Order: sequence, then structure tokens, then C-alpha cells
Amino acid sequence: MHIPDGILPVAVSAAGYVSTGAATWFSLHKINQKENPQAGIPKASLLTAAFFVASWIHIPIPPTSVHLVLNGLLGAVLGYYAFPAILIGLFFQAVMFQHGGLTTLGVNATVMGVPALLAYFIFRLRNVVGKDSLAWTGVFGFLAGAGGLGIAALLAAVILVTTVPSHLDVEAERAGIYAMTLAHVPLVILEGVFTALVVVFIQRVRPELLENG
Amino acid sequence: MKRKLIIVLLLILILGLLAATAYAHGAKIEYTVKMAVEIRAAYDTGEPMAGGQVTVYAPDDPSTPWLTGVCDDKGRFTFTPDPARPGTWDVQVRQAGHGDMVHIPIGEGMATTGGTGLSPLQIALMAACVVWGFVGTALFFMGRRKS
Repeated sequence: MHIPDGILPVAVSAAGYVSTGAATWFSLHKINQKENPQAGIPKASLLTAAFFVASWIHIPIPPTSVHLVLNGLLGAVLGYYAFPAILIGLFFQAVMFQHGGLTTLGVNATVMGVPALLAYFIFRLRNVVGKDSLAWTGVFGFLAGAGGLGIAALLAAVILVTTVPSHLDVEAERAGIYAMTLAHVPLVILEGVFTALVVVFIQRVRPELLENG
Repeated sequence: MKRKLIIVLLLILILGLLAATAYAHGAKIEYTVKMAVEIRAAYDTGEPMAGGQVTVYAPDDPSTPWLTGVCDDKGRFTFTPDPARPGTWDVQVRQAGHGDMVHIPIGEGMATTGGTGLSPLQIALMAACVVWGFVGTALFFMGRRKS
């Protein structure tokens, strides 16, 4: 899911930066409207750390292995803080470990951050059915975690499949991309369950942490 | 007399030519020593990038592929760079949107081994530093909220 440097054409990288800029502006604008914009920063910062190290947790799913992403979890718990958190986490992953890349930072932030915002909107639906219920919190936590990652995997697949350079064996590369995307299906369920567990735990211990306007 | 001499010389010449063509049944082998570069591509997990698609770019033309190929099942690929084109050869390996590019200097400043990537200790240390930065940020803003 972290697309490295040198894979995408320049136009796609530039478009990624444009959409990331727009999403960052939107998120910061929404955060600024809060009564105390700094109140969410400790939580966002800790979850950025979790996002940053999550990509080192590899889960072998033959024929390949996938790693945790946690973008749905960040969306559900952080709300509008999720996009800047993911952008910062991706930046450090790219600079420190060449996991992803600086030219593709915009694309990667869009691929993972926009579904995180969608996950937040999904999770907020629990307010409709009764947000104090642990069961509904768990259900919408699962949907947010699974949905966030699922949409991100699909976005990444679409971007990769449509930009395979013609000098490569296009069919083999596309088959590889499809296999990689399919390998994310178990991970989608896993992250859904993990997100549900985390939000149920928070709801039980400190429900005020899940109140994002 | 002169004519006889010319005929003899011509005969010798023809015989010589015949002998030269007869030599074509022999064989000769020339050699020049060339240098091959072997790359090994693997994922972060150490799993070899079997079947990864390799693209080699020559130093003087980094935008058009000079050679393309496929890694074997151990993630290895061997190619012989053109010694007449010294400089930094770029080799990209890509599989399913994953991949990396390695820069191999050929000619001056040549190293016999090299690569991309970091040791696990380096990774752990850098990860710890960055995580501490995030935790510190959280603590900083928590402290401000209390005061």
C-alpha cells in the first residue's frame, strides 16, 4: 500500500500532492473550528506513533505478506485529526525507512488518509443508533476499521493497475497487483476486529475520548 | 623467360590463397573480460522478490530502459553493463507496485558490493527515536492542558 518512489508517473504524484493539500486544508479547517483545537493533539500524536510502527507488523498471507495499516482506527478515534496524523506518520516512514517515498507521499496520504476520513463518517453513524451502546460501538468500529482499509486497498490497486509502464510485462504486473489486493481481504477483517476491540475498550474506560465533533 | 617467371609467381599466389582458405577449417577464440552485476531483491521481511520485473537504465539515458528482465525464484538477476558507458547505472525491481531502485556506480568510484536498506538495529533505533518524538509531543500538549 505504501507506493515507493519511481513507480508512478510524475503527473500522478503531482495530483496526489494536490489532493493531499486539499484534504489537509479541509481537516485543519475543521479542527480549527473546535473550541480547543489543541485538545486532540496528545491522542493524535500517540496514534501517529502507533500508525508509524504498525507497518513493521507483517502478517504472512500466502503468497505474500501484508502489514497492519490502522488508517480506519485512526479515522474512527481521531476524526479530523486522522488525516494530518497519517500524513506525518507517512512522512517519517518515508524518510526513515524508505517505506513509501517522498515523491509519492501525496499519493500515499490520499490513498490512506481519505478512507480514514470516510471511516470517521462511518463511525459517527453510531450516534444515530445510540452511541452509548457498547454493541453498536463495536459494530461501527468494525465497519470503520474494515472500510477504511478496504477502500484504501482498492484505491491503491486502481492507481497501480492504471499506471503500469509499458516496458514491463504488463499482464504479470497486473496479476501481481490483483493478488496483492486480494491478500488484503483477511487483513481488512483483522483490522476491523482490532478497531472494534479498541473502540469498545475506549468506550468502556474513557468514553469522552471518542467524542469527536 | 620473363613470362615463365610470371606464371610461376601466379601459381605460387594461387596456392597461397588456397592454403589461406584451407585455414578456415581451424578455429580461434578471442576473449575480453567483462564485468557482470548480480542483484538480489527481497522484501523487508527477507522474502526474495521472485519474479520481480527488473529494469536497467544506462547512466547517459536515465529515462529509457536499457534492459528489462525478470528475477529468478531467489530474487536474483544478472546483467553485464556496457563498459563504454561509465557512470551510475540505475536498476529498478518492481513487483505488484512494490519495489526499489539501486544505483550502481560503474567505472570510477566502483564498489564491489552495495545495496539499499538498513540493518534491524538501525531500524529499531530510528523507530524508537521517532516514537519518542510522538510521545514527547503528546506529553507536551497534555502538560499545557493541565496548566
